[in-house]
Order: sequence, then structure tokens, then C-alpha cells
Amino acid sequence: MRPHPKIISQVFIVLILVLFSISIGYPALWMIFSSFKTGGEFYSNPWGLPQKFAYLNYKEAWKLADIGRYFGNSVVVTFFTVFLVGLLAAMAAYAFARLKFPGSTFLFYSFLISMIVPAQVTAVPLYVLIRKFHLFNTRTSLVLCYTAGGLAFSIFLLRAFFISIPRELEEAALIDGCSYLGILWRIIFPISKPGLATIAIFQGMGAWNEFFLALLLIREPSVRTIPLGLYVFFTQRVIDWTYVFAFLSTATIPVIILYILLQRQFISGLTAGALKA
Amino acid sequence: MDWGWLFSPTFSVFGLVIMNWWRRFYNKNAIYFTAYFLIVPALILYIVFRVYPIVYGGYISLQEWDGLRPMKFIGLKNFSEVLFNDRLFKVSLLHNTIYALGTVTGKNLLGLFLALLLNERLRGRTIFRTILFMPVVMSFVAVGILWSWILNPAFGLLNTLLQGLHLNFLIREWITDPRIALYSLIGIDIWKWTGFHMVIFLAALQSIPQTFYEAAMIDGASKRQFFWHVTIHLLVPVTTFNVLISLIGAFNVFDLVFVVTQGGPFHATEVVLTHMYIQAFKFYRVGYGTAIAYTLFVIIFILSLLQMRIMQGKKYEF
Repeated sequence: MRPHPKIISQVFIVLILVLFSISIGYPALWMIFSSFKTGGEFYSNPWGLPQKFAYLNYKEAWKLADIGRYFGNSVVVTFFTVFLVGLLAAMAAYAFARLKFPGSTFLFYSFLISMIVPAQVTAVPLYVLIRKFHLFNTRTSLVLCYTAGGLAFSIFLLRAFFISIPRELEEAALIDGCSYLGILWRIIFPISKPGLATIAIFQGMGAWNEFFLALLLIREPSVRTIPLGLYVFFTQRVIDWTYVFAFLSTATIPVIILYILLQRQFISGLTAGALKA
Repeated sequence: MDWGWLFSPTFSVFGLVIMNWWRRFYNKNAIYFTAYFLIVPALILYIVFRVYPIVYGGYISLQEWDGLRPMKFIGLKNFSEVLFNDRLFKVSLLHNTIYALGTVTGKNLLGLFLALLLNERLRGRTIFRTILFMPVVMSFVAVGILWSWILNPAFGLLNTLLQGLHLNFLIREWITDPRIALYSLIGIDIWKWTGFHMVIFLAALQSIPQTFYEAAMIDGASKRQFFWHVTIHLLVPVTTFNVLISLIGAFNVFDLVFVVTQGGPFHATEVVLTHMYIQAFKFYRVGYGTAIAYTLFVIIFILSLLQMRIMQGKKYEF
């Protein structure tokens, strides 16, 4: 046994990983630092910690950009998207997984096939449709579009999840006189929490970060979501950079904290497609 | 109106017959009713906001339409203009292709490399994984704004760093120089998504049974040989997925370009979707913009099929 080369290679590996971690982690940290610096310090001391934490930037940015409202809009849109996708997809997925009915295969595959058409391709017709429905400039339009866009993938994942649940449980409940809806509500939902959490994180992140459809469907400042508000704030370049960073931090820190707390769920949720593929 | 007849004896018999018939019909098909009840809400949303726009978009793409005045049917003229007369479309598509080559190779090679490093027994593996995956949860708008500052030619972090390291000859106007702006965007995209591909590669690496490794070691294989002769082949399915995802992403790129460069300077970073956006929503050529989007979709579709065909052929089963 020669431990020597092994240790060297380990040190080497760790060094490379540290280098990559810095190049990925530092910009995010730096964004947070910068958001606390005064305009002058931002330029004179670009690298380090702020000398003292100036909350002023946050105050100004919140005043200039109505961040509170954007934040609220994003929360509302994300919440309803996650709720609707979770509920509707779980219902449909259960039918596809357990009930035999005419047209089930056809319907299931017609859901799946829509996944190959990216949302960007249907942007124009979707815009026209939303205008026709008088849903332009509403958060409802975003919730409906995000929900419809997320259904196929969620049904696909949840169906696989439901199939993996042993049938015996449901059969026992059926014999005891429980209806299918009762089974779905009392048995399937409670034991499918991990599957539902995966869906919630995947769709929640998608809705929280979505920009393209929000850009098309929202013109009214009071219903902007965070990415849209951030973009508009950023393009008014007259504004001080430290304010932009304050806004950027407000938008990003909650997500990052949530990610660090629930990282296992986040990673499995966001890479869920690959494990099934 | 007099509703008394409803309660007349003759009609009550009739009503009972109908009710009975319905009950039997329902009981016999209860499962179907339940199934359709469960599926219909999802189906309605899906048809209205997913299927209908796809079909309707096909219709719009055959019209000359500014979004206000009545549509004028012009057949495939929009498509022939996209394919043969639109110089900017070709330029955009070329940019998408460069973007795809850069990001697909960059994300996957780096992702695989980092996954291999993380697959070793190390202390602090979770911490590295947490940090490296972090940009995935940030929005492209946030990432774009953050990097617009890092790459700012005058005060940006990158140029300051290069100056500090006395590498002045490397200093560039990263996002305002038309010759390199596209490559800067590729770099940002790689920065954001490498952790994602790394995690997927890592999951695949960890699913390789330890016995394979032990068997190879007994047969006298070196670690390197094991990698080139075994690991690589077992990674083909997951690589297919990773390449497919990043390929589709590269042709659908919009947010990052729109936030950082808006397709400029001088169309140097114009991609198909920014071109589409400007045509449809700035010049109000709605039919034409839709035709651009559909052309892009067909291109993506063909590329995905080709890619899967090529890589499926190399698949090993175990």
C-alpha cells in the first residue's frame, strides 16, 4: 500500500472543487455584499465585505420599484400554479395509473406528446388567446398558462409514482366500501407526499422564475412578477447599481435559503425528469 | 305554467323507469365516470391553453396579420420568407447553433468532470454539491443582471480581477464587443447549468454497481481502463438525456440574451426567439413571427430526433 499518491490526488481533487465552488458561489455572495454597500464603497471596495451593512439600498429599492407588490404577485402566482398543477395532475395521474377506461392510452399519450412543443413556440397564439379571454394583464393568465404547461410532465411523473404504490392498500379500502375518490384523498395523497413535493418544487421554481410569458402577458406595473419587475428596474439604467443589487438580493435570497434548507428535495425535484428517462 | 303533470301517476312511473335506467347505467360504468371526472379538469386546461394554441398558431402562421386588422391568408409565403429571404433569421440560427455547440459541450464536459470528482470519497462532498447546484435555482433574469455587472467593461469584477492578476492582455469588453458577446453569453449559460448536469451524471455514476468495479479490479484493470471501457458506456443513456436537454435549451434561449444584450450589439447575439419577439411584438408582424417560431420548432424537433437516433445506437444494456 502506498497512501502517498492517493492523498496527493485527494488534495488535488478538493482544490479543483474549491476553485469551481468559489467561481460559482462567490458571484452570489458578492451580489449580497454589494447590496449593502454605499454607492462610493461599491466602486472603491468591489471585492470584500461591506464596511457596515447599509440597509438604505433596500429601503430605496423598495420605494423605487414597488418590490413588495411584485413579491406578493409572484407568491400568489406560484402558490396557485403549484396548487392547481398538484391537484389536477394528481387526479388525472391516478385515473391513468389505476382506472381502466376507454381512451386512456390515447389521452395519456396525447398529454405526453405536448411536452415536445416548448412554450415559446406557442407564445403568439397564447397571447392572442389571453387577449380574447380578457385575461391580459392579470395574474390569472399566468397561473393558467403555467398550470397548463406543467400538467403533462407532472402527470407523467405522478403516474409512475402511483404505479409504484402497492395495490393491496387500495384493494383493502375498496372492500371496506371506500370510493375511488375516497381512496385518492385518504390513501394516495398522504403516501404520495414525496412525489407531490417533487412536483411542487419543480413547478414552483418554474413559476417563480418564469420570465418570457410574463413579459408577453403583463404590461400593467401593478401585476408584474419578480423577474419582470427586476428586468424593468434593470433596464432603467439611470438607477444606482447598488439598488439593483438590493432588488436582486431580495428576489434571490429567499429562494437560496429555501434551497439550502430543502436541498435534497430541490435537487431531486429539479432533476426529476432525468431519473425517469 | 302548471307543473302538476310531473306528479301525476302516469308520469311517476315513467320517471321511475328513467331513474332506474340511469342508476343501472351509472353503476355499470361508475369507474368510467370517476375516471373522466378525474381527468376532465386537467384535460380542459390542457386543450384550451396547450392544444388550441398549437393549432391556432399553425393557422396564424399562414396569414399576414398585424394583430389588429383582419387577417389575410397568404399560404406558405411567411415560411418561404423565413427560409429564403430573411437574412437575420439565418444569422440568428447560426448564433443558436454556435450557442448550442458551446453550451452543450461546455455544460456536459464540465458537469461530467465535476461529477467524477464528486464521486470520489471526499469530506464535504455535500457542501460542494450544494454550492455547485445553486445557480440552477436562480432565474435567468437574476443571473443575467448579475453577470452584466461582472462583465461590465469599465468597473466589472472580471476585468478588475484580470487587472489584479496582471493579465491585462485578457481584458475585453465582454458584452459590448460584437466579436465576443455571444461567447460571454455561452459562458454565463454554462455557469448557470453545469451543476444541474453534474448532479444527473453523479446520480448515474452512483447507480453503477460496486461489483462491476470489483470484478474489473480482479481482472487487473486500472481505474483509467475501467472508466474508458465500462463507465463511459454505462453513461450513454444519461448523456443522451443531458445532451438533449441542453440542446433544446440552446435553441430556445431567450431570457438570458434579452436581459444581457437584447440581441445586440449590432445583432451579434441575435437568436431566433429574440428575432421572433421583435418581429411579432415590436414590428407587429404577428403572422410572420409565428412562422419563425414554428420553423424553429421543426428544426429543434429534427435535431432532437437525430441526436437520439445517433446516441441510442451506442446504448449498452446491463
